[in-house]
Amino acid sequence: MKKFKILIIIALTLGLLGGTYAWFFVYNKPHRDIENATADFTETAENLYNHYVNGLNAEDKNYDGAVIEFIGNPTAVESADSLKVVVFVFNQGMFGDEGIRCTLLPWHNDKTEDLSPDHPITIKGFCAGYNGTDIILEQCSIINH
Amino acid sequence: MKKLLMLLTLTLALSQFGQAQRYITKNGHISFYSDGPLEKIEAHNNQVNSALDIKSGDFVFKVLMKSFSFEKALMQEHFNENYVESDQFPNASFVGKITNLNDINFTKPATYEAMIEGKLTIHGVTKPVMETGTFVVTSGAVEGKSVFMVKLADYNISIPGAVTGKIAEEIQITVDVNLEPLNN
Repeated sequence: MKKFKILIIIALTLGLLGGTYAWFFVYNKPHRDIENATADFTETAENLYNHYVNGLNAEDKNYDGAVIEFIGNPTAVESADSLKVVVFVFNQGMFGDEGIRCTLLPWHNDKTEDLSPDHPITIKGFCAGYNGTDIILEQCSIINH
Repeated sequence: MKKLLMLLTLTLALSQFGQAQRYITKNGHISFYSDGPLEKIEAHNNQVNSALDIKSGDFVFKVLMKSFSFEKALMQEHFNENYVESDQFPNASFVGKITNLNDINFTKPATYEAMIEGKLTIHGVTKPVMETGTFVVTSGAVEGKSVFMVKLADYNISIPGAVTGKIAEEIQITVDVNLEPLNN
């Protein structure tokens, strides 16, 4: 009987530990920390733009979903509500400017104040892909400027 | 090939836009929300391309699925990998037209009700849609808003058996785009 009770207690403890683990590390697992992640690919802004615009071949690396770090000269900074988007323009098309658009993590917004097209910056973010006009990066951080 | 055809369709639709009458944004907002018995699901996307031709009434928007941001990382993972399969179908788009264009004066600041008809493509499936929305015209900008429902099954988005009945079969989509005149 005593042995049975011990087995029940062990089973309940394991169940509780398993449930706690699943709750914290599976169901509520944190988002990938893009800011502190090592970049999967490092490029220049121009190469990154050309990589998508010239059309991907089967042998090309697919940057969709990857963390990309690149260096380039920012053309403009746009505001959308509380968000700041750093834009690198390489072309003109049906939607106006075309290039790379990087939405910053909110705590990097202040770093946009002294950005200039004359000074290259290094920026890192999650590449959501190419929408036909622009390459979209999310959760971006300005590494140096 | 499907992707190429979709891009071509969108490009052809966009090529009908005249320069002076085109309003655009690349910072449009689309969110979706569903409240199922198991859990609430909400996601936001702030990098939506949208264009409106105020003369012809042509209205388009395009969105990258991987740009949707969820509160929970697990939901975001399931959304991209199991539901919309964003590696295979990276974009969603709407190409349509305002059907009551005569009721809207884009030169007079006011709020106008709009009827919009077109084709919505999600998960590689294109369906005709007819929805209502509003255009808020201010001096120098047009804000377009619409809230509508999308049935997941219509776009071949299947709910895994284990959670069938626990996740809503319809999701509410909210579109909010602040369009500005394109001067080039």
